[in-house]
Amino acid sequence: MKQDLQLKLQAYLDGELPAGEGKTIAALVARDADARAMLAELTHTRSALAGFESDIKLPETREFYWSKIAREIQRQETKSPERTAVSSFFFLRRLAVPSGVMFALLLGVLVVKQQLGFDRRVAVVETDTAQVDAGTFTYHDFASGTTLVWLSYPAEKEFAESGSADTISWE
Amino acid sequence: MADKDHSATDDVALVRAAQQGDMGAFEELVARHRDKIYARAYSMMRNEDEAIDLSQEAWVKGWQRLVQFQGDSSFTTWMTRITINLCLDQLRRKKRHRTESIEEMDEESGGVERQLPVVTVNPTERLERAELRVRIDRALSQLSAAHRTVMVLHEFEQMEYKAIARTMNCSIGTVMSRLFYARRKMAALLQDLQRPE
Repeated sequence: MKQDLQLKLQAYLDGELPAGEGKTIAALVARDADARAMLAELTHTRSALAGFESDIKLPETREFYWSKIAREIQRQETKSPERTAVSSFFFLRRLAVPSGVMFALLLGVLVVKQQLGFDRRVAVVETDTAQVDAGTFTYHDFASGTTLVWLSYPAEKEFAESGSADTISWE
Repeated sequence: MADKDHSATDDVALVRAAQQGDMGAFEELVARHRDKIYARAYSMMRNEDEAIDLSQEAWVKGWQRLVQFQGDSSFTTWMTRITINLCLDQLRRKKRHRTESIEEMDEESGGVERQLPVVTVNPTERLERAELRVRIDRALSQLSAAHRTVMVLHEFEQMEYKAIARTMNCSIGTVMSRLFYARRKMAALLQDLQRPE
């Protein structure tokens, strides 16, 4: 008997065949002795197993069996606060990592700024100078400690007041 | 120990009380259904100690997940499914630790069960219930875990092919062939056992 037919016989026994196919198999069983014998064997095995589990009994007393369950439930429930503490630790650790990265980045930017000479003092000097006179340009070299100031000449206002302008250099 | 006597309370009320944290009610549920849960674990594992451990683990999980139980099925059906899943996990773990058996290879290629002659006489007909139980027990132990699991899910849990395939993560065709070979082998084993020494 082909495997496909064997499986169909089984599906017929288990009520898993579509109605149309069920009729075809029923007709086959009626006329084919092999199919009938196979179906009978499958039926016997199935009926032998019926109710088998209901005879299996737990080989422990109720109290002993339950005591182990109760102990495990309590053990797992007392474990829960520890789990919370551990979770908090991991949460803080997760926060600490990006914070550390941000801090390192900030520090890096400050160092680079320092290295490139973007010093607040330069900005202050230039700004102050600009406020004193819009026609004045200042350059300060911290490495050599030199500041150069260019004054427009003749400055319109100063020309009118003093009649002279100069370039000043100081250390 | 339970503070209150729950023996007269029905399962639905016990489940509701246990969901509110009443351990006594849960203990009563364990007492009522412990044999059934253990029997299912034993059918699948074929080992008393393992079945006791897994059934107890199932009860612990049942307690922890009790709030998820909506009453769509009976409490025992729900507990049985937890037990089956734990047993399947355990069987998968075991499978990972051993090489593929000949039986499992046979299962894919057709197996010797297909060629066995059909058992024409009902081998269990004249047996006493106790004797039959022992013989079936021995025969079940001789099936591979894959064959036995399909058999247990179909015969004892009354699951349809489709549901078994979903549970065991395989095709319906595989379920059908495993069940067929399991039945054929059981028939052959029961026949052998009946033969006079």
